[in-house]
Amino acid sequence: MSAERVYRLLLRAYPRTFRAKYGEEMMLLFRDEYRRRNARALAFWGSIVDDLARSAPSMWVEVFSSRIKDFTRVFEVVMKLAGILAVLLGIYGVVGALGDAVVGMRIGPSGAYVVAVSLGIIAALLLLTAGAAVLWSSASGRNTATIALAASVLMVLIARLLHPWMGTVALIVGIVSPIVLLAAVQWPHRRQSTA
Amino acid sequence: MPKKQRREISPESLLPLAPATFQILLTLVGDERHGYAIMKEVTARTDGAVKLGPGTLYGALKRLLEAGLVEQGSERADPELGDDRRRYYRLTRFGLRVARLEARRLDAMVRAARQKKLIGVATA
Repeated sequence: MSAERVYRLLLRAYPRTFRAKYGEEMMLLFRDEYRRRNARALAFWGSIVDDLARSAPSMWVEVFSSRIKDFTRVFEVVMKLAGILAVLLGIYGVVGALGDAVVGMRIGPSGAYVVAVSLGIIAALLLLTAGAAVLWSSASGRNTATIALAASVLMVLIARLLHPWMGTVALIVGIVSPIVLLAAVQWPHRRQSTA
Repeated sequence: MPKKQRREISPESLLPLAPATFQILLTLVGDERHGYAIMKEVTARTDGAVKLGPGTLYGALKRLLEAGLVEQGSERADPELGDDRRRYYRLTRFGLRVARLEARRLDAMVRAARQKKLIGVATA
């Protein structure tokens, strides 16, 4: 096997994107150095392997850190969308609960019904707050969102116990969406550095 | 890296430079060079103390290109090395500023070492 073929094989230790851009230039540089020096000398191949061992791992670290940055960017977009959705669901929840309150007034509300509707309104306002906090996108905003979402789920569960009827939409808005948002807010992610 | 983002980086924030990085910038001051010419000049100037293998050299060039310190020049053959077309690299204005700042930093260190008589004094 020729020396160039051996080096071409060694180049596979580098990430594909790096190889695609600089592989041919590296081959050329290897060929120049191979011609200039006694390529059969152990020292020559020692320096080539040493260079590979020093540079290839750092190239892979750069590739992985850039992938993490890309993932962080995508995650931040998803979080913004989730925040907007939470605000909209919060508004929807407040309007729905107020509608329930109006209906309850007409038919003569029981004490439990009034408490359940009030809790529904508070839960929807908490969901709205959580959405706004997510959109704020700061560390304190994240904490506020976590507390607001947990409190919102708790309110809905209490309201559900006081007034057992709950439609599918109310279930999604009141319980499923805050839990999904809570999981998203708590998902471990690194804040992108500006350096 | 987009030009807009490049301008936001202050040259001082890139200091101190790694020895190999500074040697590459120093080689590119005044003229564009291809990879092998950079490698040969650095080896000659440092008496082999800084060795740039293909991976180290192109890894450093990649980072310098991304940071906007170096840009690609023309692609042409080097008559001394044959017909193969080679990519030439040259310093950007930003790269020259960074190299100049690093040189001043090193100069200040050498002056301090001289003041403390670490260097420039005949040893017994």
